[in-house]
Amino acid sequence: MTLPVHDTADHIYATGLRNQWHPVVPSSFVTPGAMRKVTALGEQWLLFRRSDGTLSMLADRCPHRGAPLSLGKHLGDRVACWYHGVEVETDGTVSSVPGLPGCNLEGKKLVTSLPVREVGGAVLAYFGDERHPEPAELTLPEPLTDPEVDAILCYAEWNGPWRFAVENLLDPMHGAFLHHESHTMYNGDTTAKFRIRETDRGYFFEKTDQRGVNFDWVELCRTGVDWVDLTIPYPPSAGPGGPFGIVGMVCPVDEDRTGVFFWRYRRVRGWQRDTWRFLYKTLIEERHWQVLEQDRVMLEAMPADADQRENLYQHDLGVVRLRRMYRAEAVAQASPA
Amino acid sequence: MTTTWPYLDVHQSRTHEPTPYEYKLAATLEEVFTKEGHELADVVRGLNARQVHAPDGAPWTEESFRAEMNRLGA
Ligand code: FES
Ligand SMILES: [Fe+2]
Repeated sequence: MTLPVHDTADHIYATGLRNQWHPVVPSSFVTPGAMRKVTALGEQWLLFRRSDGTLSMLADRCPHRGAPLSLGKHLGDRVACWYHGVEVETDGTVSSVPGLPGCNLEGKKLVTSLPVREVGGAVLAYFGDERHPEPAELTLPEPLTDPEVDAILCYAEWNGPWRFAVENLLDPMHGAFLHHESHTMYNGDTTAKFRIRETDRGYFFEKTDQRGVNFDWVELCRTGVDWVDLTIPYPPSAGPGGPFGIVGMVCPVDEDRTGVFFWRYRRVRGWQRDTWRFLYKTLIEERHWQVLEQDRVMLEAMPADADQRENLYQHDLGVVRLRRMYRAEAVAQASPA
Repeated sequence: MTTTWPYLDVHQSRTHEPTPYEYKLAATLEEVFTKEGHELADVVRGLNARQVHAPDGAPWTEESFRAEMNRLGA
């Protein structure tokens, strides 16, 4: 049992596509031996970590009468509901009903438990619906697995629909305007022609006449989890290693809230890696943050129906392609098999 | 660990507020990278020319710079 299949296409589009992996929160949000309540895809969940570090994710709903398990007690390898003490194991099985020993709830798997993986400091979970409980194959972004590449996660929570955050990433042209007063995107033309280039895992949306100057291209990758890859040049002050890249992922929290995950990465090793990390922590992270705040301020100020009354032009092809794809998938996931 | 929405933290990679020495070293490194180049030898020469030394006051060598970056950046 996972997410219900009776959801409408509108609900799925608003709260995130099913049958794929999504990031949830940074790993550090759930310390060993702790529990944390989280919202994702419009539902309440409980992240539960054993003291040995093993992580599990359960629906935050007691199988007895629906109280939040997150108000309960961490018992090491299971959680006890606060309301009447029902105990649930990390795979969702009821292990004990203290008020009525031998009750037929015992031994039944009554709580949804999602497959989880921890990647680059973030928790990823597979959100299957009732027809697709088995986790989709997950291919991780190469910048997060390549030993030649060093990545540092930045996580933030924004008040806006998840799809606005993804659309923002498929819209490189905003770099030259919204981020014009930044340490990395002050350069390059404010006019451009774009093209879409299909790949076997998604598509590129890229300028045809400028590369390596500003935010000039982005690749949408659908590899079990949706993510984008892009690069932005660093000024010479950032030292060796060339441009920095971003792997971006988005958590659809609910209809109007989003968790954004940005791994800033660079092809550096040895002293070059150490020096980049030192500069990043000391000076660069804060500058990146100011750029990200520009995105947040703009996206949070967008009206909820912004995408209902638009006049699009050539720079918006990447967004149009994205919406068509997500829309079609939401419709397919909502319709009966 | 905060549990209130929204989580908006400027500094997520730091373990401590940088010391005055770390700030000065970082700012000087940016200048050196801009004006001198990106090779290790450029960096060591540039820092020493600016009299920005290691905490023990000794001029940098390639070895001491590597070790310090490893300590501060790992
Ligand atoms: S609601 Fe949880 S034990 Fe009754
Ligand atoms: Fe942006």
